[in-house]
Amino acid sequence: MSGKTPLGSDFDFHGNALDRIFETYAHLRDKCPVGYSGKHGGFWFLTKSEDIFAAEQDHERFSVTPSMLLPPFGTDVPLIPIDIDPPKHLAYRRILLPLFTPQAVDKLESGIREVARHLAKRVLDARIADVSHMFARPLPTIVFGRLAGYPEKDWPKFDAWVDEIIYSRSADPGRAHAAGRAVMEYFSDLLSSRKDLDRADDIIGYLLNAKVDGIPLSHEELLSYCYLLFLAGLDTTAWAIRASLWYLGQNPREQNRLRENPELIPAAAEEFLRTLSPVQAMARTCKKDVTIRGQKISAGQRVVLVFGSGNRDPEVYDQPDEIRIDREDNRHLAFGVGIHRCLGSNLGRRELVVALQEFLSSVPEFTLADPAEQWHGVGSLVIKI
Amino acid sequence: MKVSVDHDRCQGHARCIVFAPTVFAIDGEGYASVREGCEQVSSQLQESVRSACSNCPERAILISDD
Repeated sequence: MSGKTPLGSDFDFHGNALDRIFETYAHLRDKCPVGYSGKHGGFWFLTKSEDIFAAEQDHERFSVTPSMLLPPFGTDVPLIPIDIDPPKHLAYRRILLPLFTPQAVDKLESGIREVARHLAKRVLDARIADVSHMFARPLPTIVFGRLAGYPEKDWPKFDAWVDEIIYSRSADPGRAHAAGRAVMEYFSDLLSSRKDLDRADDIIGYLLNAKVDGIPLSHEELLSYCYLLFLAGLDTTAWAIRASLWYLGQNPREQNRLRENPELIPAAAEEFLRTLSPVQAMARTCKKDVTIRGQKISAGQRVVLVFGSGNRDPEVYDQPDEIRIDREDNRHLAFGVGIHRCLGSNLGRRELVVALQEFLSSVPEFTLADPAEQWHGVGSLVIKI
Repeated sequence: MKVSVDHDRCQGHARCIVFAPTVFAIDGEGYASVREGCEQVSSQLQESVRSACSNCPERAILISDD
């Protein structure tokens, strides 16, 4: 054996690693489609679309314990339902399903539109505006905050919590866990304050009245749901909106095409989700020994399914790194597949589409103030109108 | 052309109703099925149903030629 570091041994999908990650993906897919990284305690990674789809759909061989998230989201508590395996998983998931169907989301659309229009008008008035701060982040906070029943006075605290739990977890796990404790405490108090209220017109009220196998949810179960919904409901949608505006700010031709033909926006949104997905990877643990492309992975080892790489696999997509806003046949992994498919996908998609429709109809042609701005995350994105 | 939904595979992505809303329906938990009487796909809907099929993340839409 030579002393050369094996390919992929320092592969990561967080923080600065995302700056040039699409080049990393192309290299790994080509030279090391199944590899091992020493980061985050060590994990195998799958970069080919076909392998990722297969693993996602195979809950017999791939478990979501101890967590689908690597590193964890500032807590070691298993999050319901994403960190729960069958048979318990379905009962937990089922409670939430009716709240996020296309029909349920239809009822939210006019509210989403009103919020998006209001925020877009403020961007227009500012002329030079941080659209992450003024549009991409507040939209899901307001929409999901109302839907879930988070008191409006608390919303200003949310962005900092999300930043610490999601975006510090790789570089500074201690900070993520400290924020995680603060969020758990916040929801514990909120749940206790809501216990006497007999209302079910928001998600918290709904969960307080929900039963699994005839038994009401325990305080710990309620807390786990609240914690996950909080993180899943705010951050990913904000990222998707910001990333779409990042692309459009650099591509005035496509921007104007969507402005003039808003009926193209849903397909464009799918393309942004495929290429600039807020969730670049999710983790599993092998339940038994498996062999993938000749590589043996032993039971108990962590496996990261790199959605962001699968979404740019040339075996699946023509010119995969090209963002084509009218791409047809766009079967991608942005929301995962299998029994843990993102439960909020219908809501997330609708928020993204409505956000882009309202933004483009309110705001005339815009460019990025700093063209070197990164595509990923929910940090500032300044535009000039 | 005949179309059906594999209910063991469908996970409720609801992509099918974007491409062929008159052929597919979504139930109260978000899962898809073929609308009653739509199993046999008329020629003007075949392209939409093919798009629904190729965009289904779970490969849960089954098309046959008879």
